[in-house]
Amino acid sequence: MPILQFAPFSSIVSPAFWHKLTDLKIDVLKLSDESLPITGTYTAGKSITDRETGKEVVLSTNFSVGGESFDVAHVQRSGELASSLASTSNTITATGSFKNFNTIEEFKSVDKTKFFNDEAQKIWDSIITTKSTTELTRFFLITFADLKKYKYYYWFAFPAFVSKPAWEIGDEGWKDAVDVLSRDDLSSINTQIRSQDTLPAFFLVKRSGLSVSVAKVEEYESFFQGVPAEQRIVSFIDPSADPSNPGWPLRNLLAYLHALYPKETTSVLVLRWRDNEITTATPNTHWKSQVGTVFLSGDAATTTDKPSAVGWERNPQGKLGARLADLAPMMDPTRLAAQAV
Amino acid sequence: MQAIQSQLFGLREYLSPVLKESKFKEHGRITPEEFVAAGDFLVYKFPVWSWEKGDDSKARDFLPKEKQYLVTRGVPCLRRAQSLAYTDADEDAERLLSFGDGANAGEGEEWVETHAGRKAAMNPASDSAGLAEIPDDDGDDVARGVGNLSLGGGQGESNDTPDLDDIPDMEEEDLEEGDEATAKPKPAASATTAGAGSNQPDPSKSNLLQVRTYDVMITYDKYYQTPRVWLIGYDENGKPLTPPQIFQDISADHAQKTVTIEPFIHSASLQAASVHPCKHSSVMKKVIERMNNSVVAEQLAQQTKASPPSSSAAGKESSSSKRKWFGRKSSGTTKEAAAAEDEEGPEGMRVDFYLVVFLKFIASIVPTIEVDSTTSF
Repeated sequence: MPILQFAPFSSIVSPAFWHKLTDLKIDVLKLSDESLPITGTYTAGKSITDRETGKEVVLSTNFSVGGESFDVAHVQRSGELASSLASTSNTITATGSFKNFNTIEEFKSVDKTKFFNDEAQKIWDSIITTKSTTELTRFFLITFADLKKYKYYYWFAFPAFVSKPAWEIGDEGWKDAVDVLSRDDLSSINTQIRSQDTLPAFFLVKRSGLSVSVAKVEEYESFFQGVPAEQRIVSFIDPSADPSNPGWPLRNLLAYLHALYPKETTSVLVLRWRDNEITTATPNTHWKSQVGTVFLSGDAATTTDKPSAVGWERNPQGKLGARLADLAPMMDPTRLAAQAV
Repeated sequence: MQAIQSQLFGLREYLSPVLKESKFKEHGRITPEEFVAAGDFLVYKFPVWSWEKGDDSKARDFLPKEKQYLVTRGVPCLRRAQSLAYTDADEDAERLLSFGDGANAGEGEEWVETHAGRKAAMNPASDSAGLAEIPDDDGDDVARGVGNLSLGGGQGESNDTPDLDDIPDMEEEDLEEGDEATAKPKPAASATTAGAGSNQPDPSKSNLLQVRTYDVMITYDKYYQTPRVWLIGYDENGKPLTPPQIFQDISADHAQKTVTIEPFIHSASLQAASVHPCKHSSVMKKVIERMNNSVVAEQLAQQTKASPPSSSAAGKESSSSKRKWFGRKSSGTTKEAAAAEDEEGPEGMRVDFYLVVFLKFIASIVPTIEVDSTTSF
């Protein structure tokens, strides 16, 4: 069976983020380079029909940070509930940490491996100790801002645990969800997840009688009590629209399930949910979600030690390296003046 | 110069009174309340849109604090507007689109769709020809931008390698080991062709299609009393687009005339491309007039059929959603519409649809940016 490959996130940094960072750097952080909490968002994977060729074009698996990403720091400081960060109905908010370096040399020379491992450890601890799924898509971002030139060097990492042996996908691959679940089921799932205060990044689905019900992943044991393993559906909002590669968040979700319920999760029925933008389902609704069964063959180690993790974002050249955002064309007053009509 | 102009416009907007009376059918203008109502409808029907509160210091007091402007992120833009340039050859390809729903459709309600059946005319040559039109009067930067772009157009190389000197030498390939479970990093241009053996697609024959994305914001312009559109673009690697690059995605009639780079009004420092709203109301008026006539006629027709009244809000909502006259693929859903039609007299087009219609209009200015999510559903 083929090894299951996950589509990594590709970061999109809104110019508003850099503007906010500039303000923060000048007015608040100054020379401090402590880590700050930030948030980022992703949505269900998008694809679009090309009007000229009529084909479906798959867009990349975006992960965005914007001006509002820094708000979490204020929220935490003032002790408000995280619910004030409540995302809109179709985005998932992930938390992460952010570190800005004062010089390019520091940015280059920092012990990135240690940094990465520390962050991965936080995710692992949250799995083992609190059994919470809120940290599963934790990310971090290191930056160096060359404020005078309006250049921003940055590097994202989305730590994900490496499973040994690797997860495999059944030979039949990913099937359209409508082939497995009925339209009513999908519609019901959609209604249930959309009616929650915030869209759940991960959730469980089971059939009970004629209806389907949805629950938090944290309730795995009680929710799936008495449900045969092959009918337990584990679902997540899939930021990847690629039909063969599910999105990155699934990786840590599988790690989570396998760490906590090793016996029951050598084979997992996964629902890649991509339909949370549907408001009113009709019989003609085109459901984009997919279903597939993933396996762990061989003896998977059932240890609670942190597995190794990967997840540095590659630069546009496909190498492990930092990226550069040059905002001079949109920020430099002289360049803007030249642009003006 | 532009800074002064922007200041002036800012002052002018500040001084102009808030529109109180509903005038959307007479002038194509809307009040802030109608903007909010139309925005709520847009957000409800098309959750890709959401309300933002923006920078608190820039909040407008005539709009609710949490509903200052509308935003949708990551709007794809498959090709450059130049590839849609209208030529004589395209004239034959015009096609009449009917926006009517059922019986009343067809009577003078058609819109002309140009480029119908057009093949993807995307090749490096036309691309760079288009690029050459960008005025290079601001010297090196634009020239370099153009150079980079046409290079990208020809080779499929990443055209975004910023000056290599600028990127510190910090590739650290030993940072982590190869991982078999990571999907191969795809050059973004071919992200669209990813996935072996699947049904996806190279959107055009030439292998190099830049999939840019845009953040699109809709604000309320108090002076012109219309919505106003703002664009922030990213290239296929998530890097912000420069103004000349953004102008590539705007139809030639508008680039650098009605579309300019200006400070975004809900942020202290952000710059965004904006479609100047001075002609919005007259265009909207025309469009609304046509649509209104058809809607009124339809509603009258419904009334004579005397279907049972359902005046509840929910009833209206569903009737609104059933009316597919604003969709491209309007098909015969007359029965559904009839069943759910509300019976409060021929009120005509409801202001809720204003933004849906507005997006159609904006789509003509930025033909390759898929802002009009109302058709892709």
